[in-house]
Amino acid sequence: MLAGTIWQRELVEFAQRRRALIIKLVFPLLVAVPLVLSGAPTIYAAMALTMLAAIVGALGSGAVLTRERQSGLTLRYRTLPVTPGRLLIERLTTNGLIDFVQLVPVLLLIAVRHPSEFAWWPALLLSMAAVLLIGNLTGAVASTLSDSPGEVMLYVVIPLIPLLYLSGVFTPLEQPVLPVISRLLPFSYLYQALLGSLGGQPNLLPWETVLGGFGFLVGAIGLTGWFGRRVLESD
Amino acid sequence: MKADTVSEPSLLAASGLTRAYREGKGVFDIELRLAGGEVVGLMGPNGSGKTTLLRLLATAATPTGGQLTWFGNSNPRDPSVRRRLGIMLDQPAHFEQMTGYQNAWFFAHQFGLGDDLSRERLDELFRWSGLSEARDQRVSEYSLGMKRRLNLVEALVHRPSILLLDEPTLALDYRAELDLIERLQLLSLTGSAVVLATNDVHLAERLCDRVLFLHEGRVIREGRVPELLTEVAGAREVQLQVNSPIGLEALRSLPAVQAANVEGDTVHIILARGANPAQVLAVLNGTADLVSTMRVRRPHLGDVFLKLTGVALPSAHR
Repeated sequence: MLAGTIWQRELVEFAQRRRALIIKLVFPLLVAVPLVLSGAPTIYAAMALTMLAAIVGALGSGAVLTRERQSGLTLRYRTLPVTPGRLLIERLTTNGLIDFVQLVPVLLLIAVRHPSEFAWWPALLLSMAAVLLIGNLTGAVASTLSDSPGEVMLYVVIPLIPLLYLSGVFTPLEQPVLPVISRLLPFSYLYQALLGSLGGQPNLLPWETVLGGFGFLVGAIGLTGWFGRRVLESD
Repeated sequence: MKADTVSEPSLLAASGLTRAYREGKGVFDIELRLAGGEVVGLMGPNGSGKTTLLRLLATAATPTGGQLTWFGNSNPRDPSVRRRLGIMLDQPAHFEQMTGYQNAWFFAHQFGLGDDLSRERLDELFRWSGLSEARDQRVSEYSLGMKRRLNLVEALVHRPSILLLDEPTLALDYRAELDLIERLQLLSLTGSAVVLATNDVHLAERLCDRVLFLHEGRVIREGRVPELLTEVAGAREVQLQVNSPIGLEALRSLPAVQAANVEGDTVHIILARGANPAQVLAVLNGTADLVSTMRVRRPHLGDVFLKLTGVALPSAHR
């Protein structure tokens, strides 16, 4: 397979790494199967799957971009006749798509287990895509701060954990200001969509979650373009 | 290679070009104009700023001061600028899990080539570089020399107007080096300009129209190769392999000695025009067992650098 564009190259390289491909597909299932099939409380299942989606993209892009920075590939990307914003959008959206494919078996598992919650599916797909792209962007920004793929995990987890808390993923938010803050974070929409599609009791309606997911997806694409120079041209 | 064409517009122009790093390193106040067909060498010891300067010219680093234009355009992110640059940086970085041909195909398309043209040029360049048989191997299985040859293929495939090469002969065997010299000479005849950072004095003398000597981030001397060699014309270099350290002060105080430097167990001495190597040995009188071998040879660009700075170019004496 020959790839002439940035997004094609990402896909070709991913497809050629068979071992990584299998691990990427199996890992989310290892987390999701016990949660979805065992009848665990939906708040725990939704929490674990939201964390999984947030961390999968961030760790993947963070580790890859840190490694590329060390090997000198970032310098080569920097000299391509493509604007940094477009380059980063192309790379991270493709990686987000690969992460999405990685989570498709989990989504199918939820669909098979809870077929009656179809109304939540548009919200689930959009908010999942938004969280994966934002996760990838978080990892890309973290890669500019770290010297090793191991260190980047630390820089990814440090912002994600408090943001997940503020999104109401770990515990219901009771102080009046916290639910408002949670609406400003993409993870809350994925969490609500997962609660809904798992047959739980979300605080939002499906259409509200669709709007939130869509807004964050568009915003994440714009933000990725804006961060292009910061990520690719930091020394 | 290029004849004198003063009126020809510059492909690349740098004025007061500076890239300062926090620890005081970088390059400072670089003046450089590059005309079509010209081959310019950047020479200097490790840390002198060659790689930084080449990265600036290649749009891989951002200046902190001064002006830099390519083809009259000062925007380094303009795709139309980058499409006309061919770049081989110091690290031969590739997508290691992809084959050599997949890597080269990707870069060929990024620099604007279509399928047919990419196929035609890559076939020719893979044959030229000796990589034809390894083209379907993953780059992770390539040796350093093969990776650098692949870098050359990727830098040449779109026939750039300016070719920027960092240590292009590093890890290449002699045959590959000769092929590269021939290729670069042909490229310059077609009007492309070449900038190469190198400490290979033989490459620089054979290929470059002009050489810039860099020392501690600044251009300390610039000139055409024959002009620079007149600095040491008639002089000779004496290389002494010594068994134990010797003081250079006594040697440097001799009127016959223009410059002296020690590199490992070898002492490099530039003798003034007409000076006799025996005068050097006289200083070491009584320590005859100190010197294990002595060589006298015609000076080269590395000796010019040594005379100017007192610092030897790495591998300049090979």
